[in-house]
Amino acid sequence: MGVLENKARARLFYKYLSKVYDQVNPFIWNEEMRAEALSMLDIQEGDRVLDVGCGTGFATEGLLEHTADVHGLDQSPHQLEHAWRKFGKHGDVRFYFGDAERLPFADGVFDTVWSSGSIEYWPNPIAALREAKRVVKPGGRVLIVGPNHPDSTLFGTLADAMMLFYDEAEADRMFAEAGFEEITHRTMGPSYSPEIAITTVARVPAEGEVETELAA
Amino acid sequence: MNESLLEIVCCPLDKHDLDLEVIQRTDEEIAEGRLVCTECGEEYPIEDGIPNLLPPDMRDG
Repeated sequence: MGVLENKARARLFYKYLSKVYDQVNPFIWNEEMRAEALSMLDIQEGDRVLDVGCGTGFATEGLLEHTADVHGLDQSPHQLEHAWRKFGKHGDVRFYFGDAERLPFADGVFDTVWSSGSIEYWPNPIAALREAKRVVKPGGRVLIVGPNHPDSTLFGTLADAMMLFYDEAEADRMFAEAGFEEITHRTMGPSYSPEIAITTVARVPAEGEVETELAA
Repeated sequence: MNESLLEIVCCPLDKHDLDLEVIQRTDEEIAEGRLVCTECGEEYPIEDGIPNLLPPDMRDG
């Protein structure tokens, strides 16, 4: 195989790579989508909310419109520095370095867990969902925004090779396996690509409720 | 990190409580210090007020 052929392949690959990155680019996650996702929750003033993978703090900003008690966790100092510029490093929003799959919080200490634009980078999304479920109090809710799976088979295969994409059926499966109930989804996006993101809200079973065991 | 947050944080590895060792503080805000797991002894630094609760294998990544 010649060098040119390799380069041609590389260009082709890059062309699709850029396309995928455009699809998950944070700029397509806009204020309207954020407001729609927030409307799927019922956050009350005083609720303690965790933003997993808060990054630059775009969602954090929306959460603050509902409650003052917002906690942001991320693994990247580069991303968090943007958030610190917005909210202050030692202000009302509390920041932590941490891992979504191994959360550094005690059981049931949050009313709600939110995560947008982060699940696609989690090596083990079900482990992270189980952790989100653990730190939310019984009966509380978890909301996850991720990239909806592209329909085209070729594009879908390329997308799968890059990072996690999922559709409603796959989200149902992941959330059920992590032990959630009342799982609902909404696809959203800007007008030119209205189903680019999938937002899932699910409930942590209330205390005393028997969790449904999935057949292995 | 506000001292009151000790009630909600835990060791990311074994989920046990953390002990606070203060190096520098202003009232209830801990600027520099360490959080030490009461079970496994793993230490998590607090630097410029931010607790680094990444598991050890992810630090400085």
